[in-house]
Amino acid sequence: MRVYEVFARKAHDEELRHVGSVNAGDDELARVYAWTVYDEERWIEMCVVPRDAVISVTHTDRRLPLAGN
Amino acid sequence: MSDHALRDLLIACADTKLLLGYHYGEWTFGTPELEAAVASCSLSQAEMGHVRLLHAILKKQWDCDPDALVETRDRAEFANIAFLDRPLADWADFVAMNVVVDLAVTRVLHSLRESTVQAIQVNVAKMLDEERYHAHHGRGWFRTMAADPAQRDRLSAATARALASARVWFGPDHADLAAALKADIDGISPAGVAVRELPAPDFAKWNPVTRRIGGGAPEEEILYHLRGTRNAIFKLN
Repeated sequence: MRVYEVFARKAHDEELRHVGSVNAGDDELARVYAWTVYDEERWIEMCVVPRDAVISVTHTDRRLPLAGN
Repeated sequence: MSDHALRDLLIACADTKLLLGYHYGEWTFGTPELEAAVASCSLSQAEMGHVRLLHAILKKQWDCDPDALVETRDRAEFANIAFLDRPLADWADFVAMNVVVDLAVTRVLHSLRESTVQAIQVNVAKMLDEERYHAHHGRGWFRTMAADPAQRDRLSAATARALASARVWFGPDHADLAAALKADIDGISPAGVAVRELPAPDFAKWNPVTRRIGGGAPEEEILYHLRGTRNAIFKLN
């Protein structure tokens, strides 16, 4: 089980922003979980990133300054 | 395909989606993880939405009554894939439904995507777009369970039953669809689960309207909950 951070935007002139996170067994499940858990907006783009793939710059102990579970 | 055959096929797709919506909805509770519960609820909503789209087409093109199709029809007339006739026993059944039954209907709708009936063409495109997430969910879980020796056998047995059921529903002229569906599933986890070869059904008594061999119907109890029979008194006119 991995934690995936979810990023999305509603319009092309918006930047991607962090909207939350999901727990999933693999990338494919992370996709569908992100899409169904964070479905309150009409996103034009959404992507997920495994939390453990993010390299922290400011926190050398690798803790992310992101909300999530 | 004759006009009536197309109508009956769309009814069979709508019936299957109606029962899919019921089972997905019921499994909003009882999933192995919270995210799967949210996903299952969402899949249910999508299937129910697709039923409405299909019923709107059936009403416009063939003057079918959507209310009668759901509420008052004899249950023996339902043309859904028979795997959905009974409650799902466990999560392996759920995943088999997701990966086989759901995708079986999607395959049929995919074959209708270039229909000359514009309402079918437009609505099928929308449904296929949403079905991508159903496929992700089914495949993700299938792969996860196939990797676990403790779950593999149950998954394999449920998948074989679902495939046999879909094979009958596709009918005698569409062994190609059944073979493509099996190839899809074999491709998800090539080393994980050996799903046995499909037995060739005896189509001599196949009913092209209900798409079943020798009868069968959704359980009374399922239709009772699906139709909201107990609360019919509160129905708005």
